[in-house]
Amino acid sequence: MGMNQPSALEHILITTKVEKVMNWSRASSVWPVTFGLACCAIEMMAAGASRFDFDRFGAGIFRASPRQADLMIIAGTVTYKMAPIIKTLYDQMPEPKWVMAMGSCATAGGPFDSYHTIQGVDKVIPVDVYIPGCPPRPEAFIYGFLKLQDKIMTSSLADRYKDIFEEVG
Amino acid sequence: MSEPNAPQTPETPEAPAGPYVYDYKAAPNRQITMPKTVPLPSHRTYVAEQKAAAEADEAKWQKTLADYETAKAKAEAEGKDAPKPPVRPVPRKDDTDMKPPVPQEATDPDLLKLQALLGDKVEEVFEQAGELVCQVKKEAIHEALAFCRDEAALKYEMLADQSGTHYPAAKDFACSVVYHLTSISRRKRLRLRILVPEGFAPESACSLYPSANWMEREIYDMLGIRFQNHPDMTRILCPEDWEGYPLRKDYPTVGWGQRDISFREDRGGMLERIALQKAGQLGINLKQPKAE
Repeated sequence: MGMNQPSALEHILITTKVEKVMNWSRASSVWPVTFGLACCAIEMMAAGASRFDFDRFGAGIFRASPRQADLMIIAGTVTYKMAPIIKTLYDQMPEPKWVMAMGSCATAGGPFDSYHTIQGVDKVIPVDVYIPGCPPRPEAFIYGFLKLQDKIMTSSLADRYKDIFEEVG
Repeated sequence: MSEPNAPQTPETPEAPAGPYVYDYKAAPNRQITMPKTVPLPSHRTYVAEQKAAAEADEAKWQKTLADYETAKAKAEAEGKDAPKPPVRPVPRKDDTDMKPPVPQEATDPDLLKLQALLGDKVEEVFEQAGELVCQVKKEAIHEALAFCRDEAALKYEMLADQSGTHYPAAKDFACSVVYHLTSISRRKRLRLRILVPEGFAPESACSLYPSANWMEREIYDMLGIRFQNHPDMTRILCPEDWEGYPLRKDYPTVGWGQRDISFREDRGGMLERIALQKAGQLGINLKQPKAE
């Protein structure tokens, strides 16, 4: 049997890395928390509804509990009063978890340069993807989600655990 | 807020002692500009302003006439031609739409009835753009509201809105509280107003109008006016541990730096603070372990 001849086994088996399989499975079934703060949540719902159908990318199952979710979409203005609640929800999510800051309010405070508004949710929790817009169109939202999928696919388990352990200290 | 009747003109307020780090002097574009006037609509003030303007105009005209007379006498003595007599300028008609409507004398029977019922407890009644305004003494607001609700000729059943405004340039008061009453059966609206100095606690309207409950809490939250006999005089919009009253004119729009706390550095610190406070309200001291 020559080297170029595929064997019977190679017809039914493919070789890959464990890490790649895990990343692929994680990126293909990202479950977000059902969680909206302001008008951006309307666009998020539109992205999840049938016209744009966010579910095509495996992320349409909005979970009602942070304990079953992988992704937190900060869709709206983060106020000082809401910030500890967001922090609690984020801490309740199991690892691995990702955060998308949707809209200019969640990324940098937006037009609310005022006493109550946290100037960007990254002061409260770490953010993976920032989506600009006020509010972002569902296309922009889906583009941001695809960027998050790219990030998940290129992530490495070793880096991830290093990050976690460094954060915990 | 040192003296109740002094006009407050701090350019940079003192930040309270606490975990806040905001530096106002480093951000000059965020410093406060306090209003210099009291834009409170009032018929009495309007009449006084009009009278003062007319008097100033008359004085100016008399001065022009006197100047003309002296110039004429001088010209006659020197044998020259007499100067031209002055013409009184006609004020140009100001028909811009941007001006606020003029406060007018009260003619509505509701206002007159209210004035007859309350007597000298009414400070001022007027109409503006067809809206009825009655300013009563701050101690008599509960009585005035009771009249408005119960009197058969008035019958204002609903307190549609209640709001407050801060007037830092005013001499003898600090805030105004406005009660927007609606009569559903008579299809009329009435505005009651009180002027509240610093530290004065007006009587709550909750016993008459239950809708006043949250609105008075909001006024307390935003302006710091406490209401007497209110069932639950606590903050409603801001968190319970908030410092300052955000709708006051001397409050910086960016706050005292509360928003600049980084929760990522202070992991759970705020939650712990809230938990301690909640426990303190229930009479539990979580800070110190119980002695055995």
